[in-house]
Amino acid sequence: MSQKKKNKIYRQPLPNRFVHWGVAISIIMLIITGIGQMPVYGRYLIVQPLGTKWLTSYEITLLVHYFFAATLLFFTTYHIVYHVMKKEFDIWPKKGDVKGSYLIIKAMILGQKEPPSEKYLPEQRIAYLYFVISIGLVIVTGVIKVIKNIMGVQPTNGILFWGAQLHNLATVMVILGVVMHLAAFIVKENRKLLPGMFTGYVDEEYVKERHSLWYKELKKRYEKQS
Amino acid sequence: MSEKISRRTFLKRSTVAGATAGMLLATKTPGYAQTDKSDENTLIGSLIDLTKCDGCAAYDTPLCVTACRQKNEHRFPQPQKPIKDYWPQKKHEDWSNEKDRTDRLTPYNWTYVEKVQVNWNGKTKDVAIPRRCMHCLDAPCQKLCPFGVIEKTKHGAVKIDENFCMGGAKCRAVCPWDIPQRQAGVGLYMKLVPELAGGGVMYKCDMCADLLEEGKSPACETACPRGAIEFGPYEQIRKKAYERAKEIDGFIYGDVENSGTLTLYVSDVPFDKIDEAIEAKKKAENDTRFGRPHMKPEIENMLETTHGYMLATLIAPIAGAAAAGITAYKVLSGQKKKEGEKQHESKEEK
Repeated sequence: MSQKKKNKIYRQPLPNRFVHWGVAISIIMLIITGIGQMPVYGRYLIVQPLGTKWLTSYEITLLVHYFFAATLLFFTTYHIVYHVMKKEFDIWPKKGDVKGSYLIIKAMILGQKEPPSEKYLPEQRIAYLYFVISIGLVIVTGVIKVIKNIMGVQPTNGILFWGAQLHNLATVMVILGVVMHLAAFIVKENRKLLPGMFTGYVDEEYVKERHSLWYKELKKRYEKQS
Repeated sequence: MSEKISRRTFLKRSTVAGATAGMLLATKTPGYAQTDKSDENTLIGSLIDLTKCDGCAAYDTPLCVTACRQKNEHRFPQPQKPIKDYWPQKKHEDWSNEKDRTDRLTPYNWTYVEKVQVNWNGKTKDVAIPRRCMHCLDAPCQKLCPFGVIEKTKHGAVKIDENFCMGGAKCRAVCPWDIPQRQAGVGLYMKLVPELAGGGVMYKCDMCADLLEEGKSPACETACPRGAIEFGPYEQIRKKAYERAKEIDGFIYGDVENSGTLTLYVSDVPFDKIDEAIEAKKKAENDTRFGRPHMKPEIENMLETTHGYMLATLIAPIAGAAAAGITAYKVLSGQKKKEGEKQHESKEEK
């Protein structure tokens, strides 16, 4: 526990928060501008709210889309390289996570005590995998789309068709993922995680109770250090 | 004439694009990163000589228009009526009651001849301009269709898949000439949720792709009695266009416009004058609907503006990896330093 604060545990170091919010802003802007690449705003936004006229321009939304595609690539690459170098794989799914998620959700519904968890809950690790797949697909198809737009590059009809279809599919997957991610905070127990993504700290009591395996590990590490 | 500049730009662009795309993709997916240059052998271009076209003055309808309509009649839309509005808008695009119109582009008329009078060199000249899809080398409509349902044939013809088009009309919005025309009440969207999404199907000239596939000439060329429309291998057509322009001390349209198209017009009057005449005629007729394209010279391809952003997109992962590498290194070396100090302290205590 390198960062100390009374009754608090340092859960999300600065690089994690940097990546989380960077990816979040990039994805929100990519969704907004990506929808702008579909014939949507011009048709459905009958009343144009102040400052949103640019959304109806395919050219402007494409340029803004490119900008946030670049930021998304920056943050995702940063995330991968940083955690691989530090050998931190706490959020990577483990065997038994599906069953573990079921047990936690069941315990929450029935008001029972949850099984002990590590730094991340099994359902958080599964959600992470879901984001890896959907964001990965959106990035791969997005890069193909960027390349096909280069002047002089003529993609095959198949690449063009499947690039567009899979990019659209991946976008829907990402939107669903974001909705599920936010919906997780409807559950009261999960709300205690929220400060972690703002200040980095969560309540020690919360960690002790819900992430007891991680708490034990932290304690052991702390004792070793001191 | 812009022969040298155009050619240089074309080759430069093809080389840069080919190298970049090749570097990124071609090693894994051969055939993806084809450049315009590699396509040159199969591309079919067309030359429309405005000094020859008289708009078939002796006929009610120009023969190229009639031939095109007859050839494509079986593909014309048959909308289900009553046609609903594009909710929440209170409008829809319906040309089914104007099927016989031949004076503009509609879903039922994929080519037409614009007739204008142009003042040039102190004389007034009648000019007849057959208009249809230009079949761009870098077609924004094809590249930016959100569903990827616009194809390019091996001959370079840009072809909308009528079975999968949702009629969002983005292709028209990104086309500098607003060529594709929409008919509501037909197509895939009618099988989904027509009340809420979709707008019909977009229609336009496909260069008679089926005839080209069979080695035959497109209908408009075959029907033209004055030899004003000529199709052929792109490079030959291009060469011929420049020779003809030199011969008549004239002008070319379509070679640099929208970064190059397969359709090259040759005229003995400048195209900005023709464009002025078209716009004046439309204004006089109070015609604001789609289907009578302008002829503004040297218009840019909207994909040109994305080049810098493309570079940024490719650099971003490198920057991300570098930033992560530096941060992780600093954190790890900081940890090691701390551990070292601790070990040192504990040794001293002993």
